[in-house]
Amino acid sequence: MRIVCPFCGERELGEFTYLGDAKPARPAAGATENEVFDYVYLRDNVAGPMSEFWYHGGGCRAWLKIARNTLTHEISSVEPAAGVGARQVGA
Amino acid sequence: MAEFSWIARSPLEHALVVGACGARGTAAGVSLTEIRNFDLIQVMARRGKAAELAKAAETRFGVAAPGTPKAVRVADATLIWSGPDQFLVLCNGGKHAIEPLSQAFAQSGSLSDQSDARALISVSGEKARAILAKLSSLDLHPAAFPAGTAAATSVDHTSVNLWRGNDRPDGQAVFNLLVFATFAESLWHTMLDAAAEYGVDIRHSEELG
Amino acid sequence: MVGPAQTHRLESGGLIDRAAPLGFRFDGKSLAGFQGDTLASALIANGIKLVGRSFKYHRPRGILTAGSEEPNALVELRTGARREPNTKATTAELYDGLEAASQNRWPSLRHDLMAVNQLFAPIFVAGFYYKTFMWPAKFWEAVYEPAIRRAAGLGRAAGVADPDHYDKAWAHCDVLIAGSGPAGLAAALAAGRSGARVILCEEDFAFGGRLLADGGTIDGVPAAEWITRALGELATLPDVRIMNRTILFGVYDGGTYGAIERVNDHLPSPPEHQVRQRLWRIVARRCVVAAGAIERPIVFAGNDTPGVMMASAMRTYVARYAATPAKRIALFTNNEDGWRTVETALAAGLQIAAVIDARPDVSAAHRALAAKGGFAVLNGSVSGVEGGKDGVRKIAVALTGGARAEVEADGLAVSGGWNPAVGLTSYHRGRPKWRDDIAAFVPDSAPPGMVAVGAANGAFGLGSCLRQGFAAGAAAARDAGRSGNAGAPPVADDEDFSLTPLWHVAGKGKAFVDYQHDVTASDIELAQREGFESVEHLKRYTTLGMATDQGKTSNVAGLAIMAVVSGKSIPETGTTIYRPPYVPVAIGAFAGHHRDENFHATRLTPSHHWAAEQGAIFVDTGLWRRAQWYPRAGEKDWLESVTREVKAVRGGVGFCDVSTLGKIDVHGPDAGAFLDRVYINTFSNLAVGKARYGLMLREDGIVYDDGTTSRLAENHYFLTTTTAKAGPVMQHLEFCRQVLFAELDVQLTSVTDQWAQFSIAGPKTRDLLREIVDPAEDLSNEGFPFMGAREVALRGGIKARLFRISFSGEMAFEISVPARYGDALVRNLMLAGKPFGVTPYGTEALGVMRIEKGHVAGPELNGTTTAADLGLGKMMSTKKDFIGRVMARREMLVAPDRQVVVGIKPVDKTRRLRSGAHIIPKDKTPGPDNDQGYVTSVCFSPMLDQWIGLGLVERGRERIGEIVHAHDPLRGEDYDVELCSPVFYDPDGGRQRG
Repeated sequence: MRIVCPFCGERELGEFTYLGDAKPARPAAGATENEVFDYVYLRDNVAGPMSEFWYHGGGCRAWLKIARNTLTHEISSVEPAAGVGARQVGA
Repeated sequence: MAEFSWIARSPLEHALVVGACGARGTAAGVSLTEIRNFDLIQVMARRGKAAELAKAAETRFGVAAPGTPKAVRVADATLIWSGPDQFLVLCNGGKHAIEPLSQAFAQSGSLSDQSDARALISVSGEKARAILAKLSSLDLHPAAFPAGTAAATSVDHTSVNLWRGNDRPDGQAVFNLLVFATFAESLWHTMLDAAAEYGVDIRHSEELG
Repeated sequence: MVGPAQTHRLESGGLIDRAAPLGFRFDGKSLAGFQGDTLASALIANGIKLVGRSFKYHRPRGILTAGSEEPNALVELRTGARREPNTKATTAELYDGLEAASQNRWPSLRHDLMAVNQLFAPIFVAGFYYKTFMWPAKFWEAVYEPAIRRAAGLGRAAGVADPDHYDKAWAHCDVLIAGSGPAGLAAALAAGRSGARVILCEEDFAFGGRLLADGGTIDGVPAAEWITRALGELATLPDVRIMNRTILFGVYDGGTYGAIERVNDHLPSPPEHQVRQRLWRIVARRCVVAAGAIERPIVFAGNDTPGVMMASAMRTYVARYAATPAKRIALFTNNEDGWRTVETALAAGLQIAAVIDARPDVSAAHRALAAKGGFAVLNGSVSGVEGGKDGVRKIAVALTGGARAEVEADGLAVSGGWNPAVGLTSYHRGRPKWRDDIAAFVPDSAPPGMVAVGAANGAFGLGSCLRQGFAAGAAAARDAGRSGNAGAPPVADDEDFSLTPLWHVAGKGKAFVDYQHDVTASDIELAQREGFESVEHLKRYTTLGMATDQGKTSNVAGLAIMAVVSGKSIPETGTTIYRPPYVPVAIGAFAGHHRDENFHATRLTPSHHWAAEQGAIFVDTGLWRRAQWYPRAGEKDWLESVTREVKAVRGGVGFCDVSTLGKIDVHGPDAGAFLDRVYINTFSNLAVGKARYGLMLREDGIVYDDGTTSRLAENHYFLTTTTAKAGPVMQHLEFCRQVLFAELDVQLTSVTDQWAQFSIAGPKTRDLLREIVDPAEDLSNEGFPFMGAREVALRGGIKARLFRISFSGEMAFEISVPARYGDALVRNLMLAGKPFGVTPYGTEALGVMRIEKGHVAGPELNGTTTAADLGLGKMMSTKKDFIGRVMARREMLVAPDRQVVVGIKPVDKTRRLRSGAHIIPKDKTPGPDNDQGYVTSVCFSPMLDQWIGLGLVERGRERIGEIVHAHDPLRGEDYDVELCSPVFYDPDGGRQRG
């Protein structure tokens, strides 16, 4: 598989690490146990287009949000994850 | 009380043997030169201060810091892109070591000294691309990777910064590899294995190409 | 001339170099061939027909094909450590001194006692593994499997390490071309002239594909001349790379292709410094598959008799290698192309016995040829072959209309039509489509960027191959953005390939579909009767197509027969899923350089070579090689060395290289706030110049990692991780920084390699440090208190960082210097420490001292424990959010009966404690119901003079003093142990604070 890193250009799969579903956002401080439970454990088993987190650890160390079809491995978009999912975590 | 000597040792001090290695007969297809005793500073922009950092770099070096995977050569340093909003400053002689640079980028950057964290290996020769093709998944064709191109990438499952410097006087391309120091000896043996069939000429130097 | 005369070599012709004779041995017999031969062609030139025994029935087999589809002619190539089993004689290049042996026979190929298997043929039918050996179950391992392995099977592995080097490399191009037949060469010319970067891979050592045997006229010149011209032109194009001995075996996502280059397989051993094979990963924008087609057999009784050969292979041997598989040849064909073998044979002066053409009409031209050649044309089918291990003698023909005839011949050429090589195009689960006009499957879809041309696309005629190849090459170059002028396409006529499908001729005797796995037509019929009708079931039930040739000659015939017996059409019956590799690829090639000591990259600490000089014993921990202990002369075992090291530290001073700990610079105004979110405890309030132990959780509340973090400046923290988790923690922290807490102004850099770091421990630590640190630095308890951290000057002018932290429980500092001085530091410590008996210690002594102090490490941070389980629950801040905070409070994670860290020591002080032993209440029977935990870490404690350990035990902390049972079924040990405080040594911590 090849991934076009928005910073480095096209690179081979071996430079990247897969994390998983990019959809769940970390709940803010004060969230209930159930909300956090859902964030930690509940994942859709997607057969088709999916938004995923990947880490370009073998390259520029950027976290990326990738839209990938899990059936065909076709990648339709790659963007930097910076800012994605960030919530204010209360003190 | 004993007086101590503080002899600096490069990560390749033990493994590197100057001279010829591998296939003999014709001229060595690959030249491997370890560059020793350099200053290397990682400069990362503070959140939201990439533009400010770029300006500070221009003030310091007279050129814009690379914002894309490039290596920029100035009189006394090379600025190597190493990731989004970050670059490495490579030089020698201490002019751009951690302390002076920390002053220069105090407002806009976070700096980390990497002078001892890396070994610097320069690869050139007629078969330079052939040996690098065994190590790197990058396309190093002259059109795809012209002089001045840089990449943060992996070689043999370890992170490296790779850039193409100025060509040698004989026109051969020069590829520079910054590899993590603790991986250097292992990677060096891998490189020698890869290059053996072409014949290798091994040296070390303190001169930055 | 080397060796005996080549009895079956034509006087002239062929692409062999008669000036370069080569000697070789087959089953010990000395034979001769020429440069340019394959092993198969050389065997044929020497009149050898019997080359192997079949898998199940040990039937004598000969050479069937002239390519990598060969099912029969598998040999063990070379001897000793270089012996390579299951090598196809049809693709093995002949070299001087080659040694090959036939396989699967005993005691010899001609007198194979295992041929007795044929008598038991009824038990070897389809599904025999499932039917025969089901009961009793234990007989499978003890009786059936060893017996089958002896009787059936292929070649033998060398059994010793392969002495040769294998290599891996990457390549990149615009247009990748598989195959150098007319379509492939035309594609390369078009793409190359357009300015594209081209890689062409050819499996053979010679370029040209079928042109090498079949010739023809292209652009008005003979094919051989056209090939030379094409190669000459391609050589002038700087970005065109032509690779022979290289086959594309797979296509992967994103336009990545796998190819194997047999760099030096054509030599007895690779020249010095060279590799045997090289695995290529090729990244290509476009791929043109010009992989050709495979001629398919017709299934009839006795079709595996040596001397029965594919018609195209027969042409190849005669025309390309000037070797004659037979002197008097019969042809059995259902198509026009088969007749080319007759022409080739006649041109070479061979005799044609007869042509058996299954089609009702034979052209006048062929009849004229028959008249001229003096042979009969029989309208019908071959129904049986009389012969044996010495080859074909007589061929029985069932004539159309019912009469029978016999033909005397010593070779039978068979042509059932051509199957396009649809492997590469189908590897992304593509299903080829059926074309009635050629009675074959052709690619329907292909992986992105790939297109099949020429014979691989069902266009068999030479003119069509050239046209399609050229057009595809030009289009691929255009797609890749190359707009040069491709010039004019090469031109040739199309031959006639018309056929009438014929798959199977009914007859008496075994009729083989899959030669390599001994699957017969009746096996397929049986599978259908027993309900294994789906092609995927058929494949697994009969093992059709599952041998090393992956059914290249058998799959289509097999499913065609299934279609007939199940009353379906061939497209309804369908194909099995195609999977790479297209040809077997040596595991060594996939491993490449990564074997033995290069299995993985190795990380060395800055003091590594000094430690090696001391004779240290090293241990692999992850990628690192660490000094485990430093044996001294006279010490009888590791325990004695480790015990000495521990005592030296606790009684004086020692040091240990801890450079392997992950080290991360955390910079930025929000660094403290960031650390507060990733650790369970608080770091924003840590004073500059101080260090603090921190614990990280995963978001699910389980402990992730621990380590000390120091604040070196207002906006600069220096974080350490465990050795094992350094990489994962960096990745985790970057995720937190870039994704979860992107609003924070914080920057991270790994500085693991920047610093050489040593732990110096023991009551004389300060004495040693004062020797090495600048006298102006205050190292007193007041000037440098416990958990202090700051930069100091060393004697001789270099700067270091000192951290007053202790893992051993002793008075201790960690000192770090820039890595280039790591080696000097360790030598200076030895020099300065001589008066104090300074002792280097390894990871074993480090482990002993941490267990004596009850410090948790990897065995306790095992992915199931919470902070409270480790006795660190009080560190969890209640005043802030942090990763894992909410989940850590879940009911089961705070349950009172959780297994928690506790000290464990055997009641019998002389007994050795073993990690992994289970803890069972004293009065209970060992078993899962009464299992209360286990021993996680053990050591021999020199200070307590007995074995001690840590364990995770249910309610352990409440049960201090209780005697429980240690049950170790793995080692067959049962003994009593006492639960105790995990801090065995210096429980009030006075030593480390002193």
